[in-house]
Amino acid sequence: MLESLQFLANGFEVAGTLQNLLYCLIGAIVGTLVGVLPGLGPIAGIALLIPATFGLNATSALIMLSGIYYGAMYGGSTTSILINVPGETASVITCIDGYQMAQQGRAGQALAISAIGSFIAGTIAIFGLVLIAPPLADAALAFGPPEFAALMVFAFVVLSNVTGGSLVKALMMVIAGLILGTIGLDPVTGNERFTFGSAYLLSGIEFVAVAIGVFGLGEILVNAAKPPQQLEQRVLVPRFRDLYPTLQDLRRSIGAILRGTGIGFGIGLIPGPAPVIATYAAYTVEKRISKHPEEFGKGAIEGVAGPEAANNAATQSAFIPLFVIGVPFGPVPAILLGALLIHGVTPGPLLISESPQLFWAVVASMYIGNFILLLLNLPFVPLFANMLRVPKKVLLPLVMLFCITGMFSVNNSVLDVWMMLAFGALGYILRGWACEGAPLLLGLVLGPKLEVAFRQSVMISHGGFEIFIDRPISLAFLVATLGFLLFPLLRRAVRLLLPKAPPPSGGPKANVAEGQS
Amino acid sequence: MAAAISLFVFGAITVALSLQLPLGTLRMPGSGFFPLVLGLALMTLAGVHGVQLRLAKPKAATPEPQPAPQTPADGSTIRVVLFMGTVAAATALLEPLGYTLSSFLLMLALLWILGLRRWHLSAMIALASAAASYVIFVVWLKIPMPSGWFF
Repeated sequence: MLESLQFLANGFEVAGTLQNLLYCLIGAIVGTLVGVLPGLGPIAGIALLIPATFGLNATSALIMLSGIYYGAMYGGSTTSILINVPGETASVITCIDGYQMAQQGRAGQALAISAIGSFIAGTIAIFGLVLIAPPLADAALAFGPPEFAALMVFAFVVLSNVTGGSLVKALMMVIAGLILGTIGLDPVTGNERFTFGSAYLLSGIEFVAVAIGVFGLGEILVNAAKPPQQLEQRVLVPRFRDLYPTLQDLRRSIGAILRGTGIGFGIGLIPGPAPVIATYAAYTVEKRISKHPEEFGKGAIEGVAGPEAANNAATQSAFIPLFVIGVPFGPVPAILLGALLIHGVTPGPLLISESPQLFWAVVASMYIGNFILLLLNLPFVPLFANMLRVPKKVLLPLVMLFCITGMFSVNNSVLDVWMMLAFGALGYILRGWACEGAPLLLGLVLGPKLEVAFRQSVMISHGGFEIFIDRPISLAFLVATLGFLLFPLLRRAVRLLLPKAPPPSGGPKANVAEGQS
Repeated sequence: MAAAISLFVFGAITVALSLQLPLGTLRMPGSGFFPLVLGLALMTLAGVHGVQLRLAKPKAATPEPQPAPQTPADGSTIRVVLFMGTVAAATALLEPLGYTLSSFLLMLALLWILGLRRWHLSAMIALASAAASYVIFVVWLKIPMPSGWFF
């Protein structure tokens, strides 16, 4: 513990240099913008900025890119509260009570509680990261190829189960991503695969092209499909003097913030789109334990405080599996893994011991970043809210221009831009099929790692698969995977066997639908 | 059903191409082994999805006797095709025309497609965007964007 604090102090020295402070600030501002502007999520935001980090060292690059991730969680609530449109998916739940508060003239208080809750949750979660990451890294040293292979299969299945849509569709997306990940040189033998003689494909599919295409361009096309009159919305900008919560607001929120922090931190440690699930879980818990459940959906401040704290805590704890095991459990950490690999850093159990400067500097920068974001999101909220007044018919072409520029600058190649366009069209089609892009991206990024771990495992066991069952950690992951796969079937069987209960009237679903409309 | 068919075909192509690669043995899997397994898995899942849809179809038809119209009459498909076509044209012209000019033309065309029909305003926004992105990306960030025939 003391050793960790000593390392953290050193981390503050690195993160506190003028250069790293500047990158932390840029990350926080861009993250807030990405969160504020509907249609541009953290995945596309980070992917767009990866080329801008090529001139930086790995520490500065990761400080900036992770700032975008947690910054987006702060910014996402602004549009949810002011115009009832979530800036990114983790802010969908905030629409329900946040927008109702704004309708009652309490937008300032909702925004302030959201920023304060996010700050408290972020700060506590980083402390949890400092406590948990080093011992977990020591434990992860016991992981060999079979454990990694089983863990990745577990992550894919859990992610597919919790994305909200059909499990089969999500699994198809994972496998499609894994297949795309096999294009290029075989990571074990060096043979060419599916390159059709093209030198461009030797290094595989550029994951930045997939990220910007599926998530950035795909979303732009969805907006472009709307009639021009549907693109614009009335924006309600709060006054600076309204941006403070009353004592009663604070008293009602503090419990929700702390509970949201605990829920979010726990959920961040399991595979899936952690910040999104955390907000749903926190909202459900708050409504269930509230003395005034009837206020939820009509402007209950706990309905803003709990979910906003939860998505920030989940964002911070999602860094733990990425740093400690080297396996990202969600699409945004997967993008960060890609960025780290570009910078020559391989996350895993040895990262903390071999690159302590990078790990602790990034952790320290998160403390600083949270503080910057609190400052940005309280007094400057009216400024960010005014950005929503930029008409979408101007904003979308601008974002498109940035997508092309960002994509070109990855390898200074027009072929990359064509690749991005192809994946943009695919992203648009996938939305039409109600297929999620996140499992596809995770499959693409983790595909080569899974293949190497799988092939090494069967080589170690001389062609047998019992190695996955003989080793307890691997067996535990496989049993859990089987449980997650069979759970929907069992649930359906139980529903068929049990007599039908009368349908519940009203309830949270009605409120959620109302909030999202 | 389009998703199931498309992904089944994608899986089948993967299987066919994998079989042309060395498969190796279980003791030493070759380059084609992993994609072959993935292709077969994708075909299976796509098949399951197709069957699910087939079984679910008659059920859905009963409670909803009046299905919603599938093709929107508001020209959304035309807008998406025009948007993608313009972006593709700008990408094709990126190297011959150069970054700044192709950015200007891209902005101008996209603004028109998205409904901004005042040419003076569109031209000003397009010019400002092209100039600002040139300053940010080429001058400040030193990204070697194509200079083309002009600049």
